[in-house]
Amino acid sequence: MEYKAPVEAYTGAVREEIIGTGDKPLKLGGENILSLHLFDEGSLPNPPTFALEILDMEPKDWPEHLIEPFKDVISDPVKWAKKCEGFGVDAVNIFLLSTDPADKDSPADEAAALVKKVADAISIPVLVYGCGDDKKDAEVLPKVAEVCDGMNLLIGPVLKENYEVVGKAILDHGHKAWAESPLDINLLKELNVKLCHFLPPERIVIDPESAALGYGFEYSFSLMERVKQLAVITKDSMTQMPIIASLGKEIWKTKQAKESKKQGLLFEAMTALGLLMAGANILVLRHPESIDLVKETIGGELWQK
Amino acid sequence: MLIIGENIHVIARVVNDAIKAQDAKIIQDLARQQAEAGADYIDLNLGFCRKDPMVMGWAVNVVQDVVDIPLSIDTMNPIAMEEGLKACKKRPLLNSASGKSDSKQEMLPLAKKYDCDVVISVINDRGMPAEGDSKLDSIMDTVAYANDLGIPNERIWADPIVLPASTAGEGQKNALATYEFVEMLPEALPGINSVVGLSNISNGVPNDLRHLLNRVYLAILVRKGLSASIHDALDEEMTKICKGQALNIADLIYRTFDGEDIDLSSLSPEEINYVKTAKVLSGEVLYSDAWLES
Repeated sequence: MEYKAPVEAYTGAVREEIIGTGDKPLKLGGENILSLHLFDEGSLPNPPTFALEILDMEPKDWPEHLIEPFKDVISDPVKWAKKCEGFGVDAVNIFLLSTDPADKDSPADEAAALVKKVADAISIPVLVYGCGDDKKDAEVLPKVAEVCDGMNLLIGPVLKENYEVVGKAILDHGHKAWAESPLDINLLKELNVKLCHFLPPERIVIDPESAALGYGFEYSFSLMERVKQLAVITKDSMTQMPIIASLGKEIWKTKQAKESKKQGLLFEAMTALGLLMAGANILVLRHPESIDLVKETIGGELWQK
Repeated sequence: MLIIGENIHVIARVVNDAIKAQDAKIIQDLARQQAEAGADYIDLNLGFCRKDPMVMGWAVNVVQDVVDIPLSIDTMNPIAMEEGLKACKKRPLLNSASGKSDSKQEMLPLAKKYDCDVVISVINDRGMPAEGDSKLDSIMDTVAYANDLGIPNERIWADPIVLPASTAGEGQKNALATYEFVEMLPEALPGINSVVGLSNISNGVPNDLRHLLNRVYLAILVRKGLSASIHDALDEEMTKICKGQALNIADLIYRTFDGEDIDLSSLSPEEINYVKTAKVLSGEVLYSDAWLES
């Protein structure tokens, strides 16, 4: 008897979202199949994308082999962003670490001006991540939204603690919300429900948190997989947003990644590959060679659908 | 369907203090209120009673002084359990045993010795089975063991174990497994009752919303044929659901559960909340604390 592979068709789809305003906007989502289920009925209009991470200050705890590709520009975020663009990534993700009250506590105005400068200097979209302190982010991120009015940036983290004020600024100034919740499907949905009381769902990107391989990766994997199953199979409107996997910051904290370049690249690339299989639509990494490694592994022809 | 009132529970601060101080009045008041509200059993959950296992005997006696309904003796400590069972005038419910080795050795023989009813949960040495049929497999093993000890099916109340609906999707899946368990039990093990620790479904949920999950979950389980439920005996709506007196609400819940697309515009805000909750507990909609808001 001849074997015939089963083909599934799904009824739900991930919302398609566009970030940025230039010639090279970032297109996320739109698929009505599970990640990499290219053998099923449906389409993947926008294959997963990659962003590189830059900081608004010189990194303190990055190992030499991670600084190396950016050595000459590391003290200038604008040049650093341009260099990332040169590596052929889809977006640049600036982290406003200097605004952290536990660090330099630099003011919101300064951070917002810098984001504007970076966004003006490159032709690919900018993703903005605050310092993670929910109170300070509630000052800084609305300022960024205001100064970059109409630039359609992805801004976050929008958290349960500050979603009202940050979400409102994102709404008023034409941006997208990077909604982050701590590794829990119920909390993730709750935040989206609350944001959707005033922000259209097609302006939200989900960050369920991306743990590194060996540091809770399997939780992130299962969660992203679940989000995509709910979106595509169950058609839960509150999980039908694209997913961002910000994994570079988790990878390069680990002893293993810091120890040697080879280990670091493998750690970052393998984690990215895993999260991509789970359903991530955009992946944020730190090392350009890790991105090359992932792309080489999956091969471009895989995305022809 | 039998109601086992859970209101004498050591997690409640006032109960904990009353037990420590051996203040009979508070415990007796709670017992009387539950009996008056229609409870069929009163659960005495005194925790592990590590310091003083004898306190269970005291609690049984003070409660029996004011109510004449049977008691459910609820502790993990076999010594306290025996103290409680020994003091009961009416046939008590041993709450609870399981398929774990230590429970088989320490709790089940007590059920035989005192010829009481016994709750046996599906938990075994491998943990808590997640699916409806694996829960049944587990309970069948433990029931066979109990039968060998001389405990007949008619004395056994099987507990599939309820998990909070808010636990990362697992609780909702588990809720579906409990329906299956309750429904299949009479055929798999004739004569055995089913019982659940119902309120656990809403553990971790904002306090002012817990009653909705409790009521809807109860209504669904009643329809599946549940024999008894341990819950807040003072919630009058719960009692009505148990006694088949909340027909409108139950009907709405069942229709939602069966997948009917109900027109919300014709419903009151309270009825809408029941429909939304039924969608969560039928597994149709993923739980979040904001489940009534979307």
